[in-house]
Amino acid sequence: MTKRNKKMFMLVGVFMCLAMLLAIAGCDSKKPANGEEGTVVKIGTVGPLTGGAANYGINVQRGVEIAVEEANASGELGDITLELISEDTGGDWSAAANAFTKLIEIDGVDVIVGAVLSSETQAGGPIAMEAKIPTISPSSTAKDLTKGNPYLFRNCLSDEVQAAQLAEYAVKELGLKKFAIFYTNNDYGVSLKDAFEAKARELAEVVAVEVFMDGDESFKPQLTKIKESNPDSLYIAGYYTEAAKIAQQAKEMGLNVQLLGADGLCNVAYIDIGGEAVEGTYATSGFYPDDPTPAVQNFVTAYKNKYGEEPDMFAAQAYDAAWIVINAIKSKGPNPEQIREGIAATKDFPGITGKTSIDEEGDTIKDVIILKVEGGKFTRVR
Amino acid sequence: MFIQQLVNGLILGSTYALIALGYTMVYGIIELINFAHGEIYMFGAFAGLLLVTVLKVPFFLAFFLAMALAALLGMTVEFLAYRPLRHSTRLAALISAIGASIFLQNLALLIMGAQPYTFPSPVEAKVYQTPFFTISRLEIIILIFSFLLMIALTLFIQRTKIGKAMRAVAQDKDTASLMGININQIITVTFAIGSALGAASGVMVGIYFRTVTFSMGLMPGLKGFVAAVLGGIGNIPGAMMGGILLGITETIGAAYISSQYRDAVAFALLIMVLLLKPTGLLGRPVQEKV
Repeated sequence: MTKRNKKMFMLVGVFMCLAMLLAIAGCDSKKPANGEEGTVVKIGTVGPLTGGAANYGINVQRGVEIAVEEANASGELGDITLELISEDTGGDWSAAANAFTKLIEIDGVDVIVGAVLSSETQAGGPIAMEAKIPTISPSSTAKDLTKGNPYLFRNCLSDEVQAAQLAEYAVKELGLKKFAIFYTNNDYGVSLKDAFEAKARELAEVVAVEVFMDGDESFKPQLTKIKESNPDSLYIAGYYTEAAKIAQQAKEMGLNVQLLGADGLCNVAYIDIGGEAVEGTYATSGFYPDDPTPAVQNFVTAYKNKYGEEPDMFAAQAYDAAWIVINAIKSKGPNPEQIREGIAATKDFPGITGKTSIDEEGDTIKDVIILKVEGGKFTRVR
Repeated sequence: MFIQQLVNGLILGSTYALIALGYTMVYGIIELINFAHGEIYMFGAFAGLLLVTVLKVPFFLAFFLAMALAALLGMTVEFLAYRPLRHSTRLAALISAIGASIFLQNLALLIMGAQPYTFPSPVEAKVYQTPFFTISRLEIIILIFSFLLMIALTLFIQRTKIGKAMRAVAQDKDTASLMGININQIITVTFAIGSALGAASGVMVGIYFRTVTFSMGLMPGLKGFVAAVLGGIGNIPGAMMGGILLGITETIGAAYISSQYRDAVAFALLIMVLLLKPTGLLGRPVQEKV
């Protein structure tokens, strides 16, 4: 280490110690009782607004913003006004921990919608619990995230849930019996595969499980093996480009099966690339923007008018999460403890991402939306 | 199932073979590994796609036009990136080739963006069932076209005057030039033909797998190179054989070992062949002229 570097290192060290001291000091200072000062309830959001995952965080923030604006404009909260404060994490979990501390200690928020990435929520959750500030994540799907933290909730669709619900639907509603599973070798594909396989084995039969890699072009070797086992349906646990090619090549090989998939397929490119071959596919989805229900269309229109693009699943789940918070304020009251009770009591909330309840662990119970490709378009069948 | 996998491998292999020919021809003439070849394959696919979707050119014509355009690109790359370095070290030319590859890929990214484009299907999807395997009409067309192109190339090199000149240049550049052969012209023709074959493969793969992206040349380019080395680089029948062998090995490997080791199987084959026969399957040892 050169002398100059050493100096820098020392300086950084000193600053870090100071920062820690400040943080500890912050914890001691008594917060003013929020909500009681009358009319303003502060909602914080935490998520990546910059960096590689910025799209997720920005869309979440936008979804919350629209919900807050709607609630303020409608006047249904009486004399309570909602105020939104957003913090950027850059996708980094340690920055998320700082953001939680800042929102709670400095801004004095009453409730947090966030964080976005699972690692961020894992870092921020304990901080919120310590400060007794209710937090609802619109998108962190990691397993057991909300367990043991009564202040942490989430409103999102986990891979396990959507795969299991589709397996059940396929057996009970579509009458399918012999499943083949074709999954992409990453955490998304593997968790979908595990959950689908478990449920499908419980209810019917799984005759083949094959794996592919993202970016593969030719799936014929695996499809040839799948064909040998004579399935009546093929569950594709992957993303739309590969899924469309799989559908195409399956059709070329004369493998006539009912195609099934998860939200990774729900993109127009799936139909563009797959064409005729993907017709009739059933896929689970977190959010379907072309859903004609007024609530969905209102949100989509408001979002498009404000931001000039179509909302995605993240924006929609954030919008629903914010409305769960707003309903909690309406039914129980504006201080953090009341909001926590309100969120925990959420039952059959008619969100734009499906009918939603919160279970005793703070996790989501949701009727997953199921889409079907019909006439070259996704239509909602459940 | 085994026969079906062989057929799958044969189709994949014939597209590799076409790419491998471009590598091997260029190497045979100027001993340069043309790393920009994968990008010319990508360019061919895009040219075919744009001709069909934007200019509404009929498929058959678009196929040959894409080959012609890629030939032009190949000649341009040779003129700008390789010719000025003809007399410098081989390493300099190799680095220039890698540079050309990166440049072309980024150019495509800049112009076409990162999203995949969909190639419309030229023929009605129809599947033929035989007792041993199934094959689609498109696959039959790809096989026929690949083999026709390979036969045409062989005839061109064996029977025409330019082909004879190409063989002469490959054997000994200086002597060939003393015999009145225009070396630059022959090299240009070689690049043009190699690039056209690469583009033919690009268009067919684009149609077959339905998508065209800016990065589609990377892996097939590498596989084409492996196929060329496998068959003995510089050897034209070797490149065809290497391509088909590679396609079949990969498919069988994916089917019977693991689909995740598909590429590993391909490269393991290369290493094995090079250990046992360093000159490739059909290659002859080259005497270094000191």
